[in-house]
Amino acid sequence: MRADNLAREIGAELCSAGAGEMAEIERVYAGDRMSDLLHEVDDHTLLVTNLAHRVLIRPIELVDVAGICLLNGATADPELVAAAAEHGAVVMVSPDGMYETCGRLYAALEGRKAGESRR
Amino acid sequence: MNSATYSIAGGDYENGGAASKRLKAILKKVGADPKAIRRAMVAAYEAEMNTVIHARGGRMRVAVDASQVDVVVEDEGPGIPHIGQAMVEGYSTAPPEARELGFGAGMGLPNIQRNSDRFSLRSTPGQGTQVHFTVYLTPQTAAGAAVNSVAIAPDRCRQCLRCLAACPTGAIRVREGGPRILEHLCIDCTSCTAACDAGALGLGADAGRERDAETVLVVPGAFLAQFGPGAGPEQVLAACEELGFARVRVLDAWEAALQKAVWAYAQDESEVHPVLAPVCPAVLNLIRLRFPSLLGHVAPFLTPWEAAREECEAARMTAVAACPAQRTVLSTPGLLTRLDVVSPAALYNELHARLGTDAAAVPPQAGRQASACDALQVSGIRHVVKVLDELEDGQMPDCAVLELFACDEGCFGSPAWTEDAFVARHRHERSAVVPVDGAAGAVRRTRPLTPRGGLRLDVDMGRAIEKLARIDALTRALPGRDCGACGAPTCAALAEDVVLGQTDVRACIHLEPGPLEIPV
Repeated sequence: MRADNLAREIGAELCSAGAGEMAEIERVYAGDRMSDLLHEVDDHTLLVTNLAHRVLIRPIELVDVAGICLLNGATADPELVAAAAEHGAVVMVSPDGMYETCGRLYAALEGRKAGESRR
Repeated sequence: MNSATYSIAGGDYENGGAASKRLKAILKKVGADPKAIRRAMVAAYEAEMNTVIHARGGRMRVAVDASQVDVVVEDEGPGIPHIGQAMVEGYSTAPPEARELGFGAGMGLPNIQRNSDRFSLRSTPGQGTQVHFTVYLTPQTAAGAAVNSVAIAPDRCRQCLRCLAACPTGAIRVREGGPRILEHLCIDCTSCTAACDAGALGLGADAGRERDAETVLVVPGAFLAQFGPGAGPEQVLAACEELGFARVRVLDAWEAALQKAVWAYAQDESEVHPVLAPVCPAVLNLIRLRFPSLLGHVAPFLTPWEAAREECEAARMTAVAACPAQRTVLSTPGLLTRLDVVSPAALYNELHARLGTDAAAVPPQAGRQASACDALQVSGIRHVVKVLDELEDGQMPDCAVLELFACDEGCFGSPAWTEDAFVARHRHERSAVVPVDGAAGAVRRTRPLTPRGGLRLDVDMGRAIEKLARIDALTRALPGRDCGACGAPTCAALAEDVVLGQTDVRACIHLEPGPLEIPV
């Protein structure tokens, strides 16, 4: 599903504008440990994390992150948003915590797949 | 080749990753595959953050060519007291501020290993840690890594077939055009080179690059015993020190460190007995190929030459390799490994000239200390195969540690030497060159040894089974004399070659003329 549509479906706010919004998101990985995030990254994976610090800039710059979803209405660091825009990644902020957000993401992505397979 | 060095500031989380970012710029410029770049970046960033989190500071050295990116991250930090623990996923000693930022999950080192094609870790508590990894940028590089180093001079072959009988794994074929080695079966031992009088199979000779005052020369202990009764190992070592190298080190130092580490491992850690000491790389190849069920017995350390190689990233090294297996181990480094492998012959003349030939025999020196560990040394490939066979059958020898060497009398028996194995060993043992090289240490193997697959008869399993049946039937139709006249070591090997289309069954000189009857 396209990143901007996905953000709309889960009620998240889009923070970065640019090519990243058009990225096709196929899977989601949620975690708060940098090594796990690095290990799971690819260009179709949305990372969901409580880490809202600027250290997230590095994964965006170094490995091709498709997108990052921050939680609990966190404020996205302007530099993080700028780095994402430069590297074609999307940054979105969900108003909810990890559990609710992942539930909505699952419903949006898997529900749609199930709908497709029924057709 | 493109190389660069970047500094890394300890504790500076804000700028952590800056060095990796510069490496990425290089990789993008050379047009590396995005997947390879991602792997290199995960490994580089993890290594860089380890320095930021744990050390006062450090540097990242990188080298890139068309086929690989080689990275060394070294720091001045506390070092890692237990490398085995540090490699365990989830083990971490990171401070709270690092954990708050999502680091210190204990996944860094395993992540580097997972995302690289070659990985090594060296650490001295109180001094620092060095991570060295290589990421192959093309699949061809991975496939092209040296498998064996036996040098072949086909025009010298007299077709005497001695090598066929000598090879413990049946890896040789002698047909038109001289001997050929089947790489998937060769374990890089010296059996064929020792059997070949004609010089068709050997070690290869190379003189090495120019030596300079920065290069460290490393020689095996056996090398020092090759210069006659008038030149004891002490004298030879002194002569080596005049050759113009910065320093001369003896491999015995790493062998002693390994022996100590393996003994400690056998007593405190190992759950299986006996423990196999990783002393001879050819024996490790044999275990991987023929006795994979025994891999769990091998102590998780690098062989002495591999351990020595890990140290030559700091200083250029010239290594005198005594056998093909050592040469292979030494010739598969990354771009940042400044290593030059030479054959013993490259230094013989020069040393002989310095040592003279008419000196009186050197009297024995104060004896070496006998080793305190309960280790059984077995040497010579036939004995080694027999012991491994017995071990696989559950017959445990009465010892805690088994040291297996492919050559007779260990490394003293390599055909690269000029002296007889027993003579050289005696000369070595009565000398006083005791390894006092404190810097040499045992290095934990970070990537476990894996079984080595033989040849697959066919990519399709159904067809492979079919071929297996045909090989079986054809073997029974052949005379079973294993004479080698056809160029294959056994009738079964010929049958396999025929079914795989490598040769014709008429290569067998004992078959009656007329159509061949193959029993079903």
